[in-house]
Amino acid sequence: MTAMLDHTPKMTHAEVTRDVVATLQTPSRGYYLALFGAIGLFLVGLGTFVMLLKEGLGLAGYNPPIFWSVYITTFVFWVGIGHAGTLISAILFLFRSPWRTAVYRSTEAMTVFAVMTAGLFPIIHIGRQWIFYWLLPYPNQRWLWPNFKSPLIWDVFAISTYLTVSTTFLIVGLVPDIAAVRDKMSGWRKKLYGALSIGWTGADSQWRHYTRGYVYLAALATPLVLSVHSVVSWDFAMSVIPGWHGTIFAPYFVAGAIYSGIGMVMTLVIPLRKVLKIEHLITEYHFDNLSKLTLLTGSILFYAYTMEYFVAWYSGNTFEQTTFWMRAFGPMWWGGWTMIICNGFVSQLLWFKKIRTNLTALFVISIFINIGMWFERFVIINSLGNDFLPYAWGRMNPTWADWGILAGSFGWFGMYFLLFARTFPVVAIQELKEIIPMPRRKRGAH
Amino acid sequence: MSDEMKHEPLDRRRFLKVVGVAGAGTAALTGCSTDKVEKLIPYLVQSADQVPGIPTIYASTCTECAAGCGLHVRTREARAIKLEGNPRHPVNAGTLCARGQASLQGLYNPDRLTGPMGRNGAGKMSEVLWNEAIDQLAAAIKQAGGKVAVVSGTPAGTMSDLIDQWTAAVGGRVIRYQAFDHGPVQLAAKKVFGVEELPHHDFAAAKYILSFGADFLETWHGPIENQRGFAAAHGFDGKGMAKFVYVGPRMSLTGMNADQWVAAAPGSETSLALGLANAVLAARSDAPADAAQLKAMLAAYTPDKVARDTGLPPDTVRKLCREFTKAAPSLAVAGGIGAQHRGAAELCAAVNILNYVAGNVGKTVHFGFGMSGGSGYGAMLDLERAMNAGEIDAVIFHDSNPLYTLPKSGGFQAALAKVRFKATTTMFWDETAAVCDLVLPSLHSLERWDDSRPRAGVHGLLQPVMEPVFKNIATGDVLLQVARKIGGTAAATFTAPTYEAHLKGVWAGVAKARGAGDFDTFWRGALANGGLYDAAPAPAIVRLAAGAGDIKADQPAFDGEGLIFAPYPSSMYHDGRGANRPWLLENPDPVTRITWQSWIEINPETAREMDIREGEILRLNSPTGSIEASVYVYPGIARDVLAMPLGLGHTEYGRYAQGRGVNALDLLSAKDGQGFLPYLSTRVKPEKTGRFRKVAKTEGNPRELGRGITEAIPLAAAVKGLTIQQAYQAAGKGEHEVNPELEAEAIKGFREGQLEERKYGAYALDNPQWGMVIDLARCTGCSACVTACYAENNIPWVGEEDIFRGRELSWIRIERYFEGGEDGEPIKARVIPMLCQQCDAAPCEPVCPVYAAYHTADGLNGQVYNRCVGTRYCANNCPYKVRYYNWYAYAKRAFVEPLNLQLNPDVTVRARGIMEKCTFCIQRIRGAQNTARLEDRPVADGDVVPACAQACASGAITFGNVKDPASRVVQAAKNPRGYHVLEELNTRPAVTYLARVEYGSEA
Repeated sequence: MTAMLDHTPKMTHAEVTRDVVATLQTPSRGYYLALFGAIGLFLVGLGTFVMLLKEGLGLAGYNPPIFWSVYITTFVFWVGIGHAGTLISAILFLFRSPWRTAVYRSTEAMTVFAVMTAGLFPIIHIGRQWIFYWLLPYPNQRWLWPNFKSPLIWDVFAISTYLTVSTTFLIVGLVPDIAAVRDKMSGWRKKLYGALSIGWTGADSQWRHYTRGYVYLAALATPLVLSVHSVVSWDFAMSVIPGWHGTIFAPYFVAGAIYSGIGMVMTLVIPLRKVLKIEHLITEYHFDNLSKLTLLTGSILFYAYTMEYFVAWYSGNTFEQTTFWMRAFGPMWWGGWTMIICNGFVSQLLWFKKIRTNLTALFVISIFINIGMWFERFVIINSLGNDFLPYAWGRMNPTWADWGILAGSFGWFGMYFLLFARTFPVVAIQELKEIIPMPRRKRGAH
Repeated sequence: MSDEMKHEPLDRRRFLKVVGVAGAGTAALTGCSTDKVEKLIPYLVQSADQVPGIPTIYASTCTECAAGCGLHVRTREARAIKLEGNPRHPVNAGTLCARGQASLQGLYNPDRLTGPMGRNGAGKMSEVLWNEAIDQLAAAIKQAGGKVAVVSGTPAGTMSDLIDQWTAAVGGRVIRYQAFDHGPVQLAAKKVFGVEELPHHDFAAAKYILSFGADFLETWHGPIENQRGFAAAHGFDGKGMAKFVYVGPRMSLTGMNADQWVAAAPGSETSLALGLANAVLAARSDAPADAAQLKAMLAAYTPDKVARDTGLPPDTVRKLCREFTKAAPSLAVAGGIGAQHRGAAELCAAVNILNYVAGNVGKTVHFGFGMSGGSGYGAMLDLERAMNAGEIDAVIFHDSNPLYTLPKSGGFQAALAKVRFKATTTMFWDETAAVCDLVLPSLHSLERWDDSRPRAGVHGLLQPVMEPVFKNIATGDVLLQVARKIGGTAAATFTAPTYEAHLKGVWAGVAKARGAGDFDTFWRGALANGGLYDAAPAPAIVRLAAGAGDIKADQPAFDGEGLIFAPYPSSMYHDGRGANRPWLLENPDPVTRITWQSWIEINPETAREMDIREGEILRLNSPTGSIEASVYVYPGIARDVLAMPLGLGHTEYGRYAQGRGVNALDLLSAKDGQGFLPYLSTRVKPEKTGRFRKVAKTEGNPRELGRGITEAIPLAAAVKGLTIQQAYQAAGKGEHEVNPELEAEAIKGFREGQLEERKYGAYALDNPQWGMVIDLARCTGCSACVTACYAENNIPWVGEEDIFRGRELSWIRIERYFEGGEDGEPIKARVIPMLCQQCDAAPCEPVCPVYAAYHTADGLNGQVYNRCVGTRYCANNCPYKVRYYNWYAYAKRAFVEPLNLQLNPDVTVRARGIMEKCTFCIQRIRGAQNTARLEDRPVADGDVVPACAQACASGAITFGNVKDPASRVVQAAKNPRGYHVLEELNTRPAVTYLARVEYGSEA
């Protein structure tokens, strides 16, 4: 295809190393502003959490029958964000998609931090946070085990597995790059990166083990992309609540997760490549491909939304029908339509190549995706508000305690991501080099 | 509350004093004399009758209203923890209303006065010693020299007699006054029958019940007894039921239970009553002979005239005439606040005539029960005149708070200010206390000796069941001591050293009259019984008095202009005395489902015309005042009427009541309605303020959207024994929403799988399986069960702010749904008590990650509070939404000292962050099982009674073991009207509801 963008950087291997290592030098003012902004947000969240511990969850906008609210919304949001990373780094690696190389490191980091963020929420949202470990199967003299029938326990396993595997995957992939950075550093930094590179010398045997291991890890991570969010979806689908109890939920959630993850990748990487001056490494070509993936998953979502409404009507089930009627025309109609417009309609703009390659447009769209996907979970959870007995209906009304934790989660995530971007190569040096045509062998470089 | 009042802290010593007193020298489960209560017996030396962990039950009498229901006071470790009905008492037969149960929160109210208060030299109120207070009172009475008035709200009994004798001895007058006394009824009885007493109504015997604004199920005299009778008449027994028609401007709780609500124009009900009497007299020949004299007067009230007067369609009037004529015996009642306009006495007289010509007098309307309505409002106005004229030098208020219960537009307060010495005996710093010179804290009825004679044949006894929470002196003793101080006639009148001795003296007379041998035996027997209950007296035969037929059905006058203003007594706060009890504040109004607030009810059409929405603050202006409250749009109110509950808007009365809501009496004129206060005599102009304040209601949506939650079947179908499904088909409505056969087919496989699980572990053992049947044909929605549940299960209140967020913890709630009300369909309300259904296949259980929610071997959905971490998944997944979450440490806030003394030691007080729920009062189940095991017998049917079932005056709740085929619950569940809520979810609930039976067009 002639129209296809060229994905090969017009650079030498040495230039790649130089440019990527340059991102780790003294950062700009903008970086510090962003970092302190993130830390500030995190402190807001921390303060809110302390208040929750002191007073109780009543501070948040829970309104029975809505017993879950912004916290679980945000939990699912972050778990979802975490899915693009593994998709791009593991699945696309196995499919040998060369365009992933420039973006996979940042998405993988995003994944780990997003799952780290999500992992806080089950603790924040339970009533007695100080005994959260009762959810873990640890040996105890009371012989009490968690209830393996409960989707929440599946959740605990899914999230912790995912965090373990994606962290391992990230660290393993980093090792050759850290070694490359080590070679360019001096003083204490050299020592630090030297320690982190765990003795990587670039020997053939190391490369052999590394590439093998990486493939296996990718293969291990791949099913998780599908399983983790399926399990998260079962938190809802396994219940009896109309609007939750749907067989469509697992694929619907997985598509949504990837969609939201790529949205977040774009939100992060479009400004990041500017700040770190690596526009020539992460190019429009990459975004074009990301956009196509977004278009695919966005369309699946659109289909799922339509199907939900259709099935509600076609089932003849009055509870389902009411739920979906309320979703569109009830008191929270704005949430329902935000989700459909941001996810269903906005994603369809990506049919146009002009939009796919216009980074400003993509950035705006990515913000819509983030908002839309947060609202998707918000709207789903709001199904609780009008379930079986009309007398008991209620409406969620979030408070500062909800927004404080939400802001704190962005701060927590942003803080880690920014620190990572300053400390480790956000573009995979060695993989980028792989796709650059081999130069003639010279001394001192490989 | 004034800042002069100090709250006595409850330190360890005081606590021990309260809880550690073991009433001396008595055994037996029920009743015991506590002659030597002043002796403290440390728990180290345990008294023989006090076994820690075993409740001791004392019989006593409720004083929250004049009905005088019998109590069983459950005490644990020498403190009262729950009030229940005395099963032997003829008035309430073991049941108790919400207000009666909340009496405990009066006993343990943190705002109770801790000691007497008097004016010091500077004119400020400060605490005084008891002997000083008694000296002051004696001196003041002596100084008054016969110019004494005593305003007493105490119902008939020895105390009331003592007040009469005492006042006579010191020279003075007694005004027996209670808000909502039955002035019009009393006047009408005199006018029509020439008797000075209130009639007693036998609802149970009536085949047709017609109420003209008398809210007999909630606030009219003897609501519990009425409710029992009503349930007997109107609860479907398989053959039929009485029809009930409610005439009034507003569908009250009583109106909600009617088969037909007739919104006759306020003031025109007299015409309707006379029209019915006319029809009966014309069509029936069994009227008493002397009724013939009425014929001429009644003849004018043709259906057409009645229709013109009342604004009702002529067909409706004719139909009412036909139905009323056909039924015998029937019962018409009037005299409630719902029709207490200036013509209320005429209305009551017309209703008396209606009952008389229909032959109901002697069958459903009884005289000769010795029931009295007090001195009436006119006596209060007389007192006001006397005070203004300087004829009164000292006033004593007893059990009475007229500065709250009388309209402020009257001159009572100004007149009172002219009186030199004012004293009140009250438990709380109320509005009247605030203007008095001497405040004498009285003892709660559970802390003192007394008796009660609500009607002939019922002699209830009150006994102290525990050491007083605050060391005060019973008013009876105060009066006796004062009499001794005064000397002269007063001292000579009373020989008994204490009120207890005085009471015993009176009862010794009773014993003698009955020929009882040994007084001690007689007394102990009476105490254990809660009193003496004789057979109901033979009804007195009454005949028409001269001038009985002299009744004018003129439209009564209304003050002001605009919409008619209908204040009504709240079924929770009554005359305002319930407003300081969180149980009552949190228990939603049975009609509007609003808590903690005052509200204005407005018809939806009127609201639309005025462009008013729910929660909008409206200012109501009457000629005498204006008040502001949020609007509640209520389809059960006439278009030209605005209604408001009474009982809130206290300016004093403790932390829970003060400043809460508004007092609707502020809009009323205090003008006499010839012997009664005409509550329904004002027109108000509503004015929009543009401000909003959310209505604190516990209801999400008032319509059930065809979900089959509250089922009802037509009477004809019920008589034939049709099931709900068959009734639907018979009515030509096609398939019922859920077809049980298809449903059973669809879930057959699941069900087999579920039953398979029964074969393992503890579930395979021969355990009982607890079940419940709730008969919606009997449930009135009175909400007594709700307060019973709060009391039994230590449920904390959450307060208005959390009610806004739907966070109430009411384990059992009354869901009220409206039907019709649109397209010319009459509006109807249905109620259903919703509690944990203890599903066999419970959605809450498998989702709990830590097994806090689990299935007990006897079929309950247990909840292990200690294990719960608070993920709240169980509550999300509960289709019935009957799991409740502790968003804050509610218990800490709710059970402030000394309210915490009421806590049931058998039930955990739940911490913050955990889920709580109904488990059919599992502590009672285990208690009954333990008792049975100790007695080496199986648990018998009826051994376990959950608190809700126990309180229910309608007998709507049946509980028992569903594995025992002979149990009442199994028999009840066999009823063809039985159904499960949301059966299609296959949760297999343990609660079976029996469909409500409704009159269709057939009757």
